[in-house]
Amino acid sequence: MLNIALPKGRLGDKVYELFASIGYDCSEIYSDNRKLVFENKENGVRYLLVKPSDVAIYIAHGAADIGVVGKDILEEGNFDIYELLDLDLGKCNMCVAAPNDYVEDFDRPLRVATKFVNIAKNYYISLNREIEIIKLNGSIEIAPILGLSDVIVDIVESGKTLQENNLRVYEKIMPISARLIANKSSYKFKNEDIDNLMEKLKKVLAK
Amino acid sequence: MKDLLATMSKEDSLTYELSSLYKKWGYKEYRMAKFEEYSFYSDNRDFLSSSSILAFNNSDGRLMALKPDITLSIVKNAKLNDALTKLFYNESVFRMTESSNDFKEIKQTGVEVLGKVDNYLVAEVLSLAAKSLNAIDDKFILSVSHMAFIPSLLAEMKISENAKKEIITCIKGKNSHDLKTVCEKCGADEAKTELLIKLAKINSKLMQTLPELCALASNETMKKACTELEFIAAALGKSEIADKLFIDLSVLSNTEYYNGIIFQGYVEKAPNAVLSGGRYDNLAAKLRDVTQAIGFAVYLDNLNLYYRKERGYDSDILILFDSASNSESLLSVAQSFIDKGFSVRVEHTVPEGFKAKTVYNFENGALREVASC
Repeated sequence: MLNIALPKGRLGDKVYELFASIGYDCSEIYSDNRKLVFENKENGVRYLLVKPSDVAIYIAHGAADIGVVGKDILEEGNFDIYELLDLDLGKCNMCVAAPNDYVEDFDRPLRVATKFVNIAKNYYISLNREIEIIKLNGSIEIAPILGLSDVIVDIVESGKTLQENNLRVYEKIMPISARLIANKSSYKFKNEDIDNLMEKLKKVLAK
Repeated sequence: MKDLLATMSKEDSLTYELSSLYKKWGYKEYRMAKFEEYSFYSDNRDFLSSSSILAFNNSDGRLMALKPDITLSIVKNAKLNDALTKLFYNESVFRMTESSNDFKEIKQTGVEVLGKVDNYLVAEVLSLAAKSLNAIDDKFILSVSHMAFIPSLLAEMKISENAKKEIITCIKGKNSHDLKTVCEKCGADEAKTELLIKLAKINSKLMQTLPELCALASNETMKKACTELEFIAAALGKSEIADKLFIDLSVLSNTEYYNGIIFQGYVEKAPNAVLSGGRYDNLAAKLRDVTQAIGFAVYLDNLNLYYRKERGYDSDILILFDSASNSESLLSVAQSFIDKGFSVRVEHTVPEGFKAKTVYNFENGALREVASC
């Protein structure tokens, strides 16, 4: 039995559709209830629906064998897991965004609002730029508008939210997409099952 | 003895079983103090799995550290024989854990060999590592790697140190998609990139995979490593552990300290490696006038969690008495059960949640059975 942790929400729905298309369906998942665990013994899969930011935690602790998580979460945390495949889903970019009329002032440390503290720190370390991090948990776009920060570091999908808040992409840090990850021990003991699933996924993704 | 081991926690029974195993193979127990000078660890910080060290000032003002690592201490302090020094230990290390972001005492047992390490000795240590895993769970895998492969290939690639670091992170995570991107970005040689990806992907039984791996060996360092691995395959190929030995070159360690064979052990119920070790000639040469060394550590700290024993009885016998009972005869009755090999608890009332096979009331100098399971 493969235990698969999926992120609740739009990305999780897309990933489930992908897995179902290669023979790992579990129709119960469509039932309108509050269950978070769905099992299909015939296909040998059990799906766990968890908060996107928790998928990697479930995998690292062995509560699930494999899972799908955004690269942003993997980069932000430090998880002892295998990252096996880029699923090419949920594509977006991790960016530095700033007000449309922003001009960087190099005379002082840069004030950066973000919920991705580690990604922001590592990015600016690579540029040898002194920064002051303002950790926020949501509505990041408002920070530069109110003068709380100079720039923000956040995920940009279409850029519409930035546009509506008079912000623009100032620098692109890295591309983000959904990744298939595995617990290290599970990968060793359930290697055949995981490799089979990966091969089927690769075929679909290659089309 | 089996009965006694069955009553112990996994951690305690393993400490006993593994000590016994290592003694049978002629390894001597090494005990050490809990503290060492802080400067020793800060000088060798790269060797430690976590850079945080729990430090304190002792009575004469010297900055001391609670040991974050055992190998360093043994290599620095052990009295060495002319030929080989074979040691084992049962100690605690104090490390920062990422989950709680705080220091934790972690129990470890392990083996260290200092002196001339030949192919036989590598096979013996690998065999002991496999036997140690088998003592935890017969469903185990020992992933064997060799520092000659990936590091020697990276050394040939004309790319920056930062790119190499990124590549190593990708390899450790079996992340071939990002590995390819990093190599492309830094202009790495395409053939070498392909070889890196192939080597990093290998994760199969040593006996079957070795010819394939050796066919990929593209330089003299790799070819020499293949000879070493072939010796191991020949030495252990017919043993009961042969099927549990896997080649996994994504197992990598710091080249400043490690060289040669390195390995990690997994058991089915634990999500992370429970054993890790390898050849650390570079560290031995740095700290002592020893040219070669090999060893491994078994992490016992979380095994009680993954290998929970079903809760049995707290004691065989529970004797309930009231304050009017004669203490002398009560003690004598309890002692007579203990002499027969039973465990006994004597109480006024049944303690909360307590389970006993047989419960007696001690009344008028005699026992009356009131419950039995």
